[in-house]
Amino acid sequence: MASSNETKTKKGMSGTVKGYLILFGLVVLSWAIFKILTPGNFGSPANLLSYFEASLLAAVGAVGFYFVMVMGMFDFSIGANIMLSAIVGCVFATRFGLGYAGLIVGSIITGAIVGLLNGFFYVKLRIPSMIVTTGLALIYESVANYIAGGVEQTLPSSLRALGQMPGNMILAVLAFVLAYVLLNYTKIGTYTYAIGSNEFVAKNMGINVNLYKVLAFVISGAFFGIMAVLTISYGSSMVAVTGMASMSRNFVPTMGCFFGLAFKKYGMPLPAIIIGEFVINIIFFGFIALGAPTAIQDVITGLALLIVVTMTTKVTKGEIVK
Amino acid sequence: MAGKNNIAADSKELALKKQSRMSLIRAALPIVGLVVVFLVFNILTHGGLWASRNLVLNQVYVTMISATGVFFIMTMGGLDFSQGSILGIASIVVCLLSGVNMGLAILGGIASGAAIGAINGYFYVNRKIKSFIVTICTMFLFRGFIKYMASNSPVAANMRVYDFDTMPIKLGLTVVVLAVAYVVFRYTKFGVYLKAIGAGEKAAKFAGIRTDRMKFFIYVLAGAITGLAAFINIAKNGSATANVGNQLETQILIALVLGGMPISGGAKVRFENVIVGALLYTVLNNGLTMMGLTTQTMQLVQGVIFLIFVAIFADRESLSVIK
Amino acid sequence: MSEIRLQVQNVCKSFGITKALKDVSFNINKGEVHALIGENGSGKSTLTNSLTGIYQKDSGKFILDGEEIHPKNQVEANNAGVSIIVQELGTLDGLTVAENIFLGHEERFVKMGIKNTNAMNREANALLKQYGFDRIKASEMVEHYNFEDRKLVEIVKATYFDPKIVVIDETTTALSQEGREELYKQMNSIRDKGNTVIFISHDLPEVLRMSDTITVLRDGVYIDTVKSADIDEDGLKKLMVGREVTGHYYRTDYGEKISDEVVMSVRNVTVPGQIHDISFDLHKGEILGFGGLSESGMHEIGKACFGASFDREGSVTLADGTQIKDIPTAIKHSIAYTSKDRDNESIVINQSIRENICLPSLDELANGMHLLSDKKMKEFANKHAAEMSTKMQSVEQFVSDLSGGNKQKVVLARWIGKDSDILVLDSPTRGIDIKVKQDIYQLMDRMRKEGKSIIMISEELMELIGMCDRIIIMKDGAISNELMRDPDMDENYLIASMV
Repeated sequence: MASSNETKTKKGMSGTVKGYLILFGLVVLSWAIFKILTPGNFGSPANLLSYFEASLLAAVGAVGFYFVMVMGMFDFSIGANIMLSAIVGCVFATRFGLGYAGLIVGSIITGAIVGLLNGFFYVKLRIPSMIVTTGLALIYESVANYIAGGVEQTLPSSLRALGQMPGNMILAVLAFVLAYVLLNYTKIGTYTYAIGSNEFVAKNMGINVNLYKVLAFVISGAFFGIMAVLTISYGSSMVAVTGMASMSRNFVPTMGCFFGLAFKKYGMPLPAIIIGEFVINIIFFGFIALGAPTAIQDVITGLALLIVVTMTTKVTKGEIVK
Repeated sequence: MAGKNNIAADSKELALKKQSRMSLIRAALPIVGLVVVFLVFNILTHGGLWASRNLVLNQVYVTMISATGVFFIMTMGGLDFSQGSILGIASIVVCLLSGVNMGLAILGGIASGAAIGAINGYFYVNRKIKSFIVTICTMFLFRGFIKYMASNSPVAANMRVYDFDTMPIKLGLTVVVLAVAYVVFRYTKFGVYLKAIGAGEKAAKFAGIRTDRMKFFIYVLAGAITGLAAFINIAKNGSATANVGNQLETQILIALVLGGMPISGGAKVRFENVIVGALLYTVLNNGLTMMGLTTQTMQLVQGVIFLIFVAIFADRESLSVIK
Repeated sequence: MSEIRLQVQNVCKSFGITKALKDVSFNINKGEVHALIGENGSGKSTLTNSLTGIYQKDSGKFILDGEEIHPKNQVEANNAGVSIIVQELGTLDGLTVAENIFLGHEERFVKMGIKNTNAMNREANALLKQYGFDRIKASEMVEHYNFEDRKLVEIVKATYFDPKIVVIDETTTALSQEGREELYKQMNSIRDKGNTVIFISHDLPEVLRMSDTITVLRDGVYIDTVKSADIDEDGLKKLMVGREVTGHYYRTDYGEKISDEVVMSVRNVTVPGQIHDISFDLHKGEILGFGGLSESGMHEIGKACFGASFDREGSVTLADGTQIKDIPTAIKHSIAYTSKDRDNESIVINQSIRENICLPSLDELANGMHLLSDKKMKEFANKHAAEMSTKMQSVEQFVSDLSGGNKQKVVLARWIGKDSDILVLDSPTRGIDIKVKQDIYQLMDRMRKEGKSIIMISEELMELIGMCDRIIIMKDGAISNELMRDPDMDENYLIASMV
């Protein structure tokens, strides 16, 4: 018995290594495929850096969203949140003349408030998070529209340092470190896993389950706020769309989160999210280099998420999936 | 002891009465809501809503037919966010085939809808991926195809489709779909099985229901039904744009919730949910538009009403843990 | 006379309209194992859950060592000196062993909001070593351990801080003999330290063996507290039920010859990880018992016979040559199955009694046009529910409102309605009170006499000995022994071939 546990521990150690090996294998593989297909305009070191920079946006959102997903909840208002937070941040920075502070604080606070509302309504109404956030996304989109007044919100070039090196990298690394500490070195992380594992038991252990669920949504929301800062800085402007069109922004962060969940068993969810998003971006830019039409980008996004989820979902016989 | 038992029985009866009153309220609210909303908007628009009833009715068909398939899916506890893309792809297929033969166009629409449904069903049933994730993926994937096909110019149908743009055909088709679905759901084992899967899938399986086959079949069926709705859609519009069917899934979801559908499906669903829901949704939307509300205000109102109705009709007792 | 540790005073608790505890008062002493017994729904768990903060009592007092306590959750209960080990898994996946042990008590490892994982692991390892559970490592994820080891982690979690009272709520039913022995050892050591164990169990011989004092509850009312030395099993049953258990409990015949007619023949059945190369025959009119430890694979045998196992190899063949490979085929060929996991696998819990009973019989109930009528379904359901004397308001009532015993009656009514000839009953009396148990035993005896064949899988050896024509004992996924019905059969002899 003792010896079998010994090997278990060893397997656990090599688990993390194995996880990294798989992920780097994916990076190399996806790079190699497109490098062979379009050697000319793809995959130079400079290219790779820019792909990585682009992947930071979604990675920042995904490490926050991970707290929500681990608890088994979902969020359909990601896109609406990013849109609303970016617009509020932009308004703070420009219309109110608060500059970078306005952009960062405005976006993050808005994101956190959106998260708080998601969590509050989910906990109070006691209906599935996916449904609550669908309803709320309708509302957030409409609010963003009111604030933007139907006009595209543009960030002046003097305020776009967070969209390029090293500003984006600094902000992203700060966000990653924060998420890592929250997950591994605070009660929040322990309780997040506890609630994700079994809510009833967690509740009986004196954990205020509802409080930590709301907290997870707030953390997730705030990280989407940071993602909003990076997004508008990177893309320089944001249009407030309606009719749930913001849903398209949900995909990429969600994909990263599935990487995180899949690699949870190797004990490295957050690095998996970051590298996973990088892989996704390599594939995106690979297709762009191939000259795929823009409409096909949606096809790739949908297909990529489906593949990622299919590969990361273990098919257990007899398991009930809804 | 006997007295005690009586008291216990009395209080139990009271609670039961309360329960049945609650379920009565839940059953009546959507219908009352429909009547009230209808009356209020007629008064506010000075009868404008009633005057344009044909226009309003014209918007109901597609939503109501496709909601029937989603109703089956939601009864067994699944979700489908790909309905809009199914309608879009099927509409394009209808347009392309309408020049060849109208019957072929109808069948083509149904077949393409069923094919997408089969993709949903495969990933959901065989790969054990949550239905909402599978269907948002396929929604996006096929939306991309639609955009690609219709990006430069809408895909136009043969002009003869307008021959089918008559009230008797459209209303007739809708009524037939609803009637067949109603009988099948209410008076055959199919309906009992669906509800059983929604209320407890494992137990349903142990009672001899081929749950996996059933789940797959329902997704195919829902796709096929929406494929049929695509024909009405094209008969109405004559062509498929890049936006064809956009947001249909959200409309259906809102419509079913407004109709009193518990979001987790199961034993408490009623077929009336489809009809009342689709009507209420359309009347509400048209009423608000006639009142001159902007898109974003309408969306705000929709969101709020949606949340209120979900909260009222959610069957929380059946959800031991709400995720 | 020993000192009083806990005074339970006039405790009341209601769930909606159900009064689960009515004015319960009694005392528990220091340094004793105090058993709490009663039929299902008698309020045992409600009482201990109120004591440990899982539920909040409506009124009354818990006075611990002279001071009133009212914990709002388990952590507050722990701080007051009360802990609990629950029946189901109380450890959480995704957390390490150490995180599980200290869940809710992280404060002393947290400085400025940052958790010191190393200190936590060090302390947990020291504790595990002290208990003699060295093979469990504090930093390992708890899901890497099996059920038994995870229960040991729970024991550490519930006892490491020397609580004044440890509640053990039906934990033993889920444990193997080895695990039980470990738990008994811990119970004795808690008592020897002068602390108190509140022990809940359905297993009366175990209760008599392990406890010093026994308190009996019935329908949420306190009945009596007795010394274990002064009472026997029959006396306890009488207190629990409130009257003599009349008539015969098990069947009484011996020496009847089993028919030679084989109705089901199982050959070389293997289910990976569960059972290996199992072969046996089931005869007409026979009750064939399967006994063993919970993890011995015996529960999988029931599933395999019903076509519900995954990746099954080997064959299950009926007398007419039909191969049973899936559930619909099994049902079509008159096989019925009740699962150990009643709420998930036997009944559709959030569905009416009517639809639950009619579910497998819809084809028979439909008319020529495949249409069903509500009236016909209702009559069918009423008829068979009444046959089982199910306690209910109407067949439209949801099964979730029923007690465990009545749920099981609905399940059986379903299969009686289907008129199944082969019944595979997995733990048919699990968590069911004595009265309904007796009904089920009588039903089984009647069915046997009607020529129906029954496979009875049970963890309760007494009922196997009492009911079966033949008993097969399972061990580690294989058949370890087979015994014929015998009035002198001894429980201990069976146990010997189980472990």
